[in-house]
Amino acid sequence: MTNTWYLYLFFAAALVFAGLLGLLARRNLIKLFIAIEVVGKGISLLLLSTGFAKGHILTAQALVITFIVVEVSLVATALALIINVYRHTKSLDVRNLAKLKG
Amino acid sequence: MIVQTALLIGLVLFSVLAILLKDLLRSAISLAVASLLLGIIFFRMNAPYAGVFEISVVAGLITVLFILTIALTKTGDEVRESRLVNWAFPLVFIAFIVIDALVMKSLLGKVPALASGAESGTFGEVLWRGRTFDLVGQIAVILAGVLAVLALFRKREKHD
Repeated sequence: MTNTWYLYLFFAAALVFAGLLGLLARRNLIKLFIAIEVVGKGISLLLLSTGFAKGHILTAQALVITFIVVEVSLVATALALIINVYRHTKSLDVRNLAKLKG
Repeated sequence: MIVQTALLIGLVLFSVLAILLKDLLRSAISLAVASLLLGIIFFRMNAPYAGVFEISVVAGLITVLFILTIALTKTGDEVRESRLVNWAFPLVFIAFIVIDALVMKSLLGKVPALASGAESGTFGEVLWRGRTFDLVGQIAVILAGVLAVLALFRKREKHD
């Protein structure tokens, strides 16, 4: 069972790292949010695979479902924020948000 | 095991593509495919409820929300990304994969997790009895999300 767990944890870590790299490297707001989604996928894979390896799959499923519901609320709010930012600055560049004038 | 590994490789590949592709629409669709693969992995881990949620909500609803946002912000597509990223991203990622493969095995013992043991009951019992507080929290989070979206799209008042 440890081998299966190792495999899942390996890929979950790769997903989280890819998301973090995307967050560091990209400038488009929607791209940044896609990177956050990739991190979220890594986390849900980690939760469920740990539950699977330790024989607690039902609790892990309940946690993953909670996580998905929270994720949807987060996505809806963040995309509404992105649309508002776009209406103000006419651009999706995250560097425009650093200008504090007006 | 081989099928599961192939699915996991596909998941990482499509997730990296979603970050690397320049076209926003294509990256949103790559993200949806990655979610679909993750849902299939959940099904194969005997977690059908999580799989159904992943496929219907994450691969379906969130993709629709992304595509809607991309359509609403169409002319903002031309953000100039730094050129360094195009070759630095794959390089750093491959370096991390190598380190991951070497280090993860020794880290396994240190990951905090519940002790192994068989669970009793059905999924419904675990969700309703064991994690009631989570359900209340979920309702609160959905309400907070709805209120936040309403607040962000409210009509301007006259003195604005």
